[in-house]
Amino acid sequence: MNNLLKAEIFKMQRNRSFWMIFAISAGLSALMHYLIMVDWWKMDGTSFDAVGLGDMNALSMFLVPVFFNLMIGTLAAFFISTEFGAGGVIKNQILSGRHRHLIYVSKYIVYTMGSVLIGVLVPLSTGVIMLAVTGNLEILDGGNIVYLIRMHLLFILQYAGYTAMVTLLAVLTEDSGKTIIFSVLFTILMFVVGKVPVFNIVEIIYDHSIFQQFNLVMAPEMSAGMMTEAVIVGVLTIVVVAAVGCMVFGRKEIK
Amino acid sequence: MNDYILKTQGLTKKYKNHHAVDQVDLTIRKGDIYGFIGQNGAGKSTMIRLVTGLAFPTGGTMEIFGRDARTGLNEAQKRMGAIIENPALFPEMTAYENLEVHRRQKGIPGRECIDQTLELVGLTDTGVKKVKNFSLGMKQRLGLAMALLSDPEFLILDEPTNGLDPIGIVELRELIRKLNREKGLTVLISSHILGELYQLATTYGIIHEGKLLEELTLKELDEKCRQHLKIKVDDVTKGATVLESDLGLTDFEIMPDGTINLYQHLDDVRRVSKTLTDNGLVIEHFARAGDSLESYFSKLVGGGRHE
Repeated sequence: MNNLLKAEIFKMQRNRSFWMIFAISAGLSALMHYLIMVDWWKMDGTSFDAVGLGDMNALSMFLVPVFFNLMIGTLAAFFISTEFGAGGVIKNQILSGRHRHLIYVSKYIVYTMGSVLIGVLVPLSTGVIMLAVTGNLEILDGGNIVYLIRMHLLFILQYAGYTAMVTLLAVLTEDSGKTIIFSVLFTILMFVVGKVPVFNIVEIIYDHSIFQQFNLVMAPEMSAGMMTEAVIVGVLTIVVVAAVGCMVFGRKEIK
Repeated sequence: MNDYILKTQGLTKKYKNHHAVDQVDLTIRKGDIYGFIGQNGAGKSTMIRLVTGLAFPTGGTMEIFGRDARTGLNEAQKRMGAIIENPALFPEMTAYENLEVHRRQKGIPGRECIDQTLELVGLTDTGVKKVKNFSLGMKQRLGLAMALLSDPEFLILDEPTNGLDPIGIVELRELIRKLNREKGLTVLISSHILGELYQLATTYGIIHEGKLLEELTLKELDEKCRQHLKIKVDDVTKGATVLESDLGLTDFEIMPDGTINLYQHLDDVRRVSKTLTDNGLVIEHFARAGDSLESYFSKLVGGGRHE
């Protein structure tokens, strides 16, 4: 497993798409934070406002599935799906003699690490850097730092549940274009389900899914029960979707 | 201890109503260079994908390194190297980086093996050149390097000469021979270019429409392809005696169907026939026979259907 992780990290480090998305994420985040900090762009009523971090409102954008999926869906397409394509490098991994479920899990772990970096850590760190650059670092105090840490940890857990779904999608489609399109459609569908009244059963599922948790974990205050639920939903999603992914990949015939 | 690397029994791969591989019983012994011959679409690549674990059989059994593939395939894969159809490479990486990924995946300790393997296939001077800028031949050689990186005991090469120039083909052949001779490497090599396999393989398996039609050694193949006179007379015993006593010939065989295969005097057929008739024998059949590998293969698969 360790060797497989090292191989995946090596591949990620040399993946042009990863660095391109990384640069876009950093550039876009820096620009959005700057525009908000100089009051050129107004965003109100966010969770960040409620904890006195209005200057970091740009982060709200990066925490919306429809938005962050554009980055991590593309990463999945060019990090995972392409391996099944014309080059067929996935064959080499199968021939390495490692169990297929280990190959799948190592891909998922490294893809998730990359996704967290470009979708969560880069926007957060650029936000902090921009605060420092514009001389607004003093808005960070003990209370909102705890909020940032708590919110981001719980968010990353849900996010890892989402990357598990995208990993599965990338392996199922074996095609970078399809991975991007289907992941975009999926997030739009979840957005619609979250906004409009739907059948009871769908609503119940949605309310107990990571998609609802993406909203809930941003709340300025969370009870212990809410946090426990967030952890359970996130962990269960990761375990169940990754297990399904292992099963699918284990039975997949490589062309 | 088994003396074979791979043994399949009734191995079958069915896609809907089509049998890509149909009841194949194949045996590859240690140290063999096994030439897998078949037309395009005959089932060679499917068979290789089954052996390497890229696809799953729908019937039959397979033993690799003496273990049932259902339980021992992962361990077997660690002792194998393979190029299947096209070399699987990362185009944005250099040759060294491609091998580094593979080294990590296989868990091979130390990076020395990368330089050694690059040298072995003649790619030491590619430096920072990305694989996307490689020629087809260079890619093929890098694919071979990846297959050889872990110093495998069993090398599987599916159409390895695709894209190689004539010198590259000769070099590949020499390299495989050398590895086979010096390290005892067992090789399964598929091709539809028969002349190429004839110069390399020690055992042949001929596959057609998913079925393994014949498995034979180089010696057996040579005998089948050897030029000879096929003679059928009314008294085969007397015929053999006449050939021996009157013509002093010894290099002939009496076949199960009663014909005599004569491997001498091919350029003096008139004398042979005259001697036989002079001794009161009735010649029922008298013809020159023997195939090239190509014509033998054509005859076996029905001929005239090469793509």
